[in-house]
Amino acid sequence: MNIETTIFILRLLAGLSLAGFLLTLFSVIWRNLNQLERSAAPASSEHGYLIREGANQTSGAERWALRPIVTLGRAGSNAIVVNDDFASAEHARILLEREKWWLEDRQSRNGTRLNDDQIKRRTILADGDVIGIGSYRYRIHIHP
Amino acid sequence: MTSTEVDNKPLPIVRFVVGSSGGGNRWLLLALAFTFVFAGMAAIALTRPAQADVWTTFAIWLICSASATLVMKLCLPGHDPLLLAIPLFLSGWGLAAIERLAPAFADRQAIWLIISIVAMLAVACLPHLLRWLRRYRYSLLAAALLLLFATIALGRNPSGLEFAPRLWLSIGSIYFQPSELMKVILVAFMATYLAEQSATHRAGQSGAGAGFPATPRLLGPILLMWLLSMVILVWQRDLGTAMLFFIVFLLLLYFTSGDRRILIAGVTLILLAGIAAYQLFPVVQLRVDIWLNPWPEADGRAYQIVQSLMAFASGGIFGAGVGQGFPEYVPVVHSDFVFAAIAEEWGLLGVIGILSCLGVLAWRGLAIAMTHPGAAFHKLLAVAITMTLLAQALMIMAGVLKLLPLTGVTLPFVSYGGSSLLACHVMIGLLLRLSAGAR
Repeated sequence: MNIETTIFILRLLAGLSLAGFLLTLFSVIWRNLNQLERSAAPASSEHGYLIREGANQTSGAERWALRPIVTLGRAGSNAIVVNDDFASAEHARILLEREKWWLEDRQSRNGTRLNDDQIKRRTILADGDVIGIGSYRYRIHIHP
Repeated sequence: MTSTEVDNKPLPIVRFVVGSSGGGNRWLLLALAFTFVFAGMAAIALTRPAQADVWTTFAIWLICSASATLVMKLCLPGHDPLLLAIPLFLSGWGLAAIERLAPAFADRQAIWLIISIVAMLAVACLPHLLRWLRRYRYSLLAAALLLLFATIALGRNPSGLEFAPRLWLSIGSIYFQPSELMKVILVAFMATYLAEQSATHRAGQSGAGAGFPATPRLLGPILLMWLLSMVILVWQRDLGTAMLFFIVFLLLLYFTSGDRRILIAGVTLILLAGIAAYQLFPVVQLRVDIWLNPWPEADGRAYQIVQSLMAFASGGIFGAGVGQGFPEYVPVVHSDFVFAAIAEEWGLLGVIGILSCLGVLAWRGLAIAMTHPGAAFHKLLAVAITMTLLAQALMIMAGVLKLLPLTGVTLPFVSYGGSSLLACHVMIGLLLRLSAGAR
């Protein structure tokens, strides 16, 4: 094999390995991004829902998706607006932390009840629990 | 749900693929880098048979890369494999380019590569290093300033010319450029300083507003940094390093505060300094003049930049082939102008290769800052290191292409220059550590 052919083969090899290196870089990035999207997806899909007890069940306004943070209170900025005279503006919230759902009272004037017991600190929620604010009662359904 | 509560939601963390597929990628990348560097070295050995020790350099590179990949896999399994593979690939490419362009320097560069890889592994694997960096930051800064002033007083130039910039310190026959070491230390210092400032600032503010106003507390350090850059510029005529320090600091300050006025003020300061320097220093004047129009003096003062443009032109898409172009026409092509030599012999494809590698490196560096759940210091350090490498690469690549006035900095990992290689690898070591999640 003469020297020109060898050099040509080497150039081909260099070009191919450069292209291969870059392609591998991009494929790693591509897979990482896909993974990131997949790991982010469950957070946006439905974890469960909350439903107001005693309300007309067919009405859509009385049912809310369970999100990593759900705020409850009388102010219009809350995810669930509680139209009760005994509800504070920012009354309580539901949080997803350490893979558990927590109910937290936000120093409301009249307190928050979990299954008719007043909560004193953050409390873990279970499927079917009932959250009470004033005369309003919300049942929580957590998808496993 | 209000908007602030949405923002509070923790970002999903990118888990860099570590399992079997990640390990495969690591070795696949190394194998491809191996064939690329091998092809380059073999072509040099064929076209220039007089050069005997191409294979020694190649063997050193191979042993360094393989052991670095293995050690990193064992000591820091959570690290980002791309952040390791790209510097190894680029330094192999750099070694091939130096073997081709300045064979006399290749041995020295190979020895520096060994030192750099050892330093990188040490930085990445030593426990508590980040905490030490934070705790002893003022001592480090003092040491860096001491080095700078030592260079002003005792600096030498390896070429021994009377008027060449004296940026080196020498111990025997080993020359070291302290500004490279200072770069690493200053980057770490800026990150700790700004992390502290943003924390105290946020504590004093009630809301969760993004920006914080330009108080003297913030502007003070900018002016200080600017003065420091000016000292480097005036005493050392080291335009590139001065610019780099200031640009990185500015970007970092913008990153912490999100205040656009900082960018405006910074650019104004750079322009003012530039105009003043143009009036005062013949070096700056020369650089700007040959940037605006090099052609009347193509045989004289603008010879280097014109030859560099010629090298780009004659490279074409596929390049002349390793050992078959004439990049030697560019004076000192192996250090600052190595990008021109790559453009000539590896062609546009080589240039795209270098750019993609640096782009991916920058992206992964910033991804650490974006997705890292750790402290503000870690985020800022990742941003600072990435910005330093990126700004330096852009400055020299744009300079060689006559897009910007030439500022003499090295192309990270590729150019000849031991201190620069060491500094870049130490910074990569820190990034690798951050990518694994700092503990």
